[in-house]
Order: sequence, then C-alpha cells, then structure tokens
Amino acid sequence: MPDPLHVDLLRVDLLQAKNLCAGYGEMEILKTVDFSIREGSITAVIGSNGAGKTTLMRALSGLIATRSGAITFDGGVVSGLPAHERLEKGVALVPEGRLVFPDFTVHETLKVGAFSPRAHEGWKQRIEDMYALFPRLLQRKQSRAGSLSGGEQQMLALARGLMSRPKLLLLDEPSLGLAPMMADEVFRQLRTIRDSGITICLVEQNVQAALDIADYGYVMEDGHVKMHGPAAELLTMGSIRESYLGL
Amino acid sequence: MDQLASTQLLLSALVLASIYALVALGLNLIYGTMRLLNVAHGELMMLGGYTSFWAFELLGVGTLWSMFGAIALTAALGALCYVTVFRYVVRNRELAARLESNSLLIFFGFSIIIQNGLSIAFSADQRSYTYLNGIFALGDARVELNRLAVLGVGAAATAACVLFFRFSRLGLATRALIQQRDAASLVGINADRIQLLVFCVGFGMAGLAGSLVSMTETVTPFGGFPYTISAFIVIILGGLGNLTGGILGAVLLATIEIYGVALTSSAYRSILVYGVFIAILFLRPQGLLGRKMR
Ligand SMILES: Nc1ncnc2c1ncn2[C@@H]1O[C@H](COP(=O)(O)OP(=O)(O)O)[C@@H](O)[C@H]1O
Ligand SMILES: [Mg+2]
Repeated sequence: MPDPLHVDLLRVDLLQAKNLCAGYGEMEILKTVDFSIREGSITAVIGSNGAGKTTLMRALSGLIATRSGAITFDGGVVSGLPAHERLEKGVALVPEGRLVFPDFTVHETLKVGAFSPRAHEGWKQRIEDMYALFPRLLQRKQSRAGSLSGGEQQMLALARGLMSRPKLLLLDEPSLGLAPMMADEVFRQLRTIRDSGITICLVEQNVQAALDIADYGYVMEDGHVKMHGPAAELLTMGSIRESYLGL
Repeated sequence: MDQLASTQLLLSALVLASIYALVALGLNLIYGTMRLLNVAHGELMMLGGYTSFWAFELLGVGTLWSMFGAIALTAALGALCYVTVFRYVVRNRELAARLESNSLLIFFGFSIIIQNGLSIAFSADQRSYTYLNGIFALGDARVELNRLAVLGVGAAATAACVLFFRFSRLGLATRALIQQRDAASLVGINADRIQLLVFCVGFGMAGLAGSLVSMTETVTPFGGFPYTISAFIVIILGGLGNLTGGILGAVLLATIEIYGVALTSSAYRSILVYGVFIAILFLRPQGLLGRKMR
C-alpha cells in the first residue's frame, strides 16, 4: 500500500500564485498572496466580506492585472496574459453575480461559451451534455438569460464556464442568493464536475458546505491569506468555528 | 391629401431611411461596444462623398465602383483612430470611467480636423456630379436611377451587416461584448479585436453612406453636421446600442421628415426633426425599443 503522505507529494500544483499583488486604481487590495491549487482537488476560499476573495478570483482569471508577483498555470507563467488568453489555456471563472448576457437565450449563451478555439471541437455534443447535467436549462432553452431565476442563472453561468472545456474552474460564490435546496444541488454538481477530471476552486460564504466538499481550504482576511490547510482540519479548528461557522 | 398616398413620397422616405439606417448602424455599433459617441460621423460621410466625387471627376469611375474605395478609406481611418487613440482610452480604467464625455470631445476634435483638412485640400466649394440620372417610371412615380441605387445599396448593406451580427461567430462575439464586457472576456472573446472590427465597420458604413449621398446631394467640407444630428436622433429613437432598433428609428425619422415636410413646407424640416428628438427625450428616453435602465 502506498504511503498517503508520499501520494500527496506526488500530486502537482495546477496553479500557483507567488507574492501576488493586485487591486483597483490606486487601491492595493491583494498584498503578496501565496496561493496554490492541487490538480484534481476542490479548493475552498473563505473569509468575511471585503476580504479580497473576489479580487483574488479576478486576478487569477485575468480580469484584473497582476501588479507584482507571478501566477503559473499548468507549467507556464500566465500573469501577463489577458482573461481570454488564460481561458484558452484552461482557466475559467464563473464570476460573482453570474454576469449573464441578458439578451442571449440559454442556447446562445452555451454556444458563446464555446467561443475559444480550445472549446470549438465537439461543442454541439457538449451543449447536449450540459442539458443532461442541468435539465432545468433544457426546459428554458429558448428563454432570455435575463428572464431566468437566480438559481437558473447560476446554473447557466456554471454551464457556460464548462462549455470552454476548462482544466481549472474558479467559482465565486456559486450558492449566493440560492434557496438551500438549490444550493445543495449546486454543491452536488461540483463534486460530479470534479470527478469528471476538472479541478475546482470555489469562494463561499457557506463555509460549512464549502469545507465539506473541499479537500483544501484558504482563509482570507484583509487581502492576505490568514490560514490554510486541509479542509477537514480547518473545520475542526476553534477559531474558524467561531469566526465563520458561528459555533 | 392625394399627394400623401403617392409612391413618389414613399420612395423618398425609403431612400432617406436607407441612408439613416446605414449611418445609425455605425454609430450604434461603436456606442454599444465601447460607449463612444462618434460625433464625427457626418464628416466621415463627407470623406466618402469626396472619394466618389473625385473618382468620378478625375478618373471617370462611377459611384457604384468608387463606393468600395470610400468604404476602404473610411474603414482604414477607423482602424487608425482605434489603434492610435481609442485602444488606450478604453483600456485605461480612469479614462474609461469618463468615456462618454471624453469621446464626445475627441470625436469633436476629429470632426474639426476633417472639416478643415477637406476645405484646405478641396476648398469650400459645393461639389456635385451627374451620374445614373436616368428616370425610371414606377407606376405613377418617376424616380432617378441614382436614388434607386441609394435605396438598393443602402438597404442591402444594412441587411448584410445585420445578418452578419446576427448569425456569424464574430457577430455573436460582438453582441456578447455589447451586453457584458467582463463575461465576454471570460468566454474567450478578445475585446480588442472586436473593437477594431467595430471601428472599421462603423466608419466604413459612414463612408458608404456618404458615397451614396454624393450621387444626389452636394458635397462640402461642412456638409456632414446635419447627418450627424439625424443619426443621433435615429439611434436615440431606436435605443442607444440597439442595432435593429436603429433601423426602425431610421424608417420612423425618414417618414416623419418626408411626410412632415410634404404636409407643411421644407422650412419646417429642422423643427420637425428636433421636435421628434425632444419629444422622445421627454416621453421615452430609453428609446422606442429600449428597455428601462436597471
Ligand atoms: N471595482 C472595485 N473598485 C474599487 N474597489 C473595489 C472594487 N471591487 C472591490 N473593491 C474593494 O476591494 C476590497 C475587496 O473586495 P472583494 O474582493 O470583492 O471582497 P470579497 O469578495 O472577499 O467580499 C473591498 O474593500 C472592496 O471595497
Ligand atoms: Mg466577493
């Protein structure tokens, strides 16, 4: 039997950020963040409002520029690349607030989700796969994205992200504003997606649910990584239970 | 009243509508994707007009050929404008926050440069030429062939653009960018490339409109301004950034203008046009097809 510690060492980081600094205008929000995501894992990022979790996701996906430090992904440096080029390498973000295209139908949204060259092959079949994964979207196929409910928009944003055939899927608060049943459904789907070979990193307010499905967790505070460790360990730590689980 | 039902008047309205539609398309594309208000649109038309005038005078080339030259010239100018100025203005976050008002000033500068450049190069003389002036009888109406050409080419070019943006891959990407910039980058759309395309198409369609108009109207360095005004009214009617709305707006303004003048007199043209403009701003500022801002 292989030694578990040894197996763990063999697994590689799919993404690594070193001394990452980023922000908006004059404001520096992320201050030298070190962060990594293991290939094949689910990594959770938690922290109070305004801690910089969304900013981290935007910096990793390329929506905002890296001011200093470096991001490597899948063996190459990506910190200098704009978002559309990072997507081409396999980094997809399902953004906070979903950012759907309000006037596109569900079907058009999925089609535009496969816009990048890496996603082009087999896009028609992948749309069918998305309808199988999210039957609700099939029912609303011809509806305008802007007219969908919050939960449906969340599914659409997730499906749109998957249409790009990502290696790494970043999710910013996928359960925000969802009814508990819908949120459970989303968390179940994330497991399925991970099991299909896509690495996942998610930001969540629902700390218990996030750490339950995650392998590893980061706690952010005021633009820093305050703590990190295996999800199961974080769940048992008193300070986390007090600050984020209200126990 | 008989006169109002005439084919003649209907044709006039359609000819004017096809020009307005072409011009509005260019404005809408550029506004929709980048929130830039191109007040130099009329001047671009005049550039297209001069291209066709000189091609006819110097080379004896007809407008139906020289219009391709007018498109190429103005599209190239669009690419130049984008690459030298607007690429940086759109990218810079601080400048981008004040984009609408800044773009107004930048384009206003362009329009003054083009006007004065044209009058230095070609003098302020009114230019016109006679081309395709045969008369075509259509029922009880008699139209010059060149006006039919304006209608045919204008409508075909508008339709081609609309179909392109509706059905092509790049069109899909452009519509995505118009709706949600960040989400567009997140699905792999290169905003920079789409913006360059939009500048070329928008400027090129203005050049085409000018080239067509030069067959029936005089061309002068300062003749573009009324077209800019009309184009703005048209896109506000149709809802800023709404491509199909712009076509509806074009038909509507042309109808009001032609039939209104027929009912009153040409002295009332400006009053009619500005009246519609002000009425729309009061009654439906989001445009006829536009949704209320959220
Ligand atoms: N577009 C923006 N411009 C300026 N400051 C911003 C912007 N977005 C977020 N911030 C600021 O950055 C900080 C971190 O925000 P964010 O990354 O959204 O936190 P979180 O997602 O953890 O709630 C906050 O102080 C917020 O006010
Ligand atoms: Mg956030």
